Amino acid sequence: MNDPINVGLGERVISADPADVLVAYGLGSCLGISMYDPVRRLCGMIHAVLPQRMNGAEPDSARFVDSGIEGLIHEMERRGADPRRSIFRMAGGANMLLASGVSHTFDIGTRNIESALRTFQRLGIVLKAKDVGGNLGRTVRLYVADGRMTVRILNGKEQEL
Amino acid sequence: MNDSTHFDEDLLNTLHTVAGAGIHNAARGFSSLLGHQIQVLNPVVRVVPILEIPRYVGGPESEAIGIYLRAEGDIAGQIMLIIPYQKGLELVDLLMDVPAGTTKQLGSLERSALGEVGNLTGTFFLNAVANLTGTSVRPTPPAVIVDMVGAILDIIIATTGGVTDRVILMQAEFIDGERSVETNFWVIPDPTTLKTFRNGVPSEA
Repeated sequence: MNDPINVGLGERVISADPADVLVAYGLGSCLGISMYDPVRRLCGMIHAVLPQRMNGAEPDSARFVDSGIEGLIHEMERRGADPRRSIFRMAGGANMLLASGVSHTFDIGTRNIESALRTFQRLGIVLKAKDVGGNLGRTVRLYVADGRMTVRILNGKEQEL
Repeated sequence: MNDSTHFDEDLLNTLHTVAGAGIHNAARGFSSLLGHQIQVLNPVVRVVPILEIPRYVGGPESEAIGIYLRAEGDIAGQIMLIIPYQKGLELVDLLMDVPAGTTKQLGSLERSALGEVGNLTGTFFLNAVANLTGTSVRPTPPAVIVDMVGAILDIIIATTGGVTDRVILMQAEFIDGERSVETNFWVIPDPTTLKTFRNGVPSEA
């Protein structure tokens, strides 16, 4: 097994090496969105920060949920994946300030989830699994060997999604 | 969005002045809370890219305590204190005046003690800023979050992402006799606030 590959804030990582594990550490309101083509054995993940692409940003920027999903699909297709047979999952979108008075103004987590669901619907894609919302951070792992995705919360065990 | 124009050399000097005064003022607040003298060692002020924040605080998956406030008034922005979890427990020991290692977990009492640390340091910091800039500013009540560093940082990253790419980092070590607690303050001024700093403070102040 290779060292885990960090999918940092606003990044997109794609791998076909079965020894690779893609990891988005400590997702709060951010979303980790993954795509796995079981035929090509190709895995990709983005770590999206904000719901909607801003003017001037790259059209496939992984920093934003909507452009990030489209960029992930395009890049995976370019490397031989077919989105129609691919498996999509997502995790994250927590509201880290759930218990405080400032929560409503800054509930980016919920807006990120809504943006992802809208984008998938627009593209005609059905999510296989999701673990979103709540008020806890999550670490998400995507194993290239078998396309398995896991979610872990603080002091918790890795759970398959 | 390129914000290099927002953080030019003059502005950075001004921010150093304001932040340095703010951190020492915060230490005074801390001292009055504890009832004895607290020193601040080597406050460091620098402007860092938002995306590099996690590596300053032990990696995105490590457990930490975040104390979060918003500044409201003539100056608007956010203040986040981040303390590694174990250091936070030591800080509670120090606040409760019990031997180091006594506090094993954070209950509601311990959380409100840490919230008070945020409240005091935030208030004293903002008072220093207000005095230097001649503005009125006050903090919101603090939120205390225990989670992975990355998830805590999402609070400030999500609320600033796309508007500014860099934040002001102040690293300070609070010393109480033999004990010390390192803290990272992240101050994220709204763009209009940077203008206030630029116009409101003589650079040699």
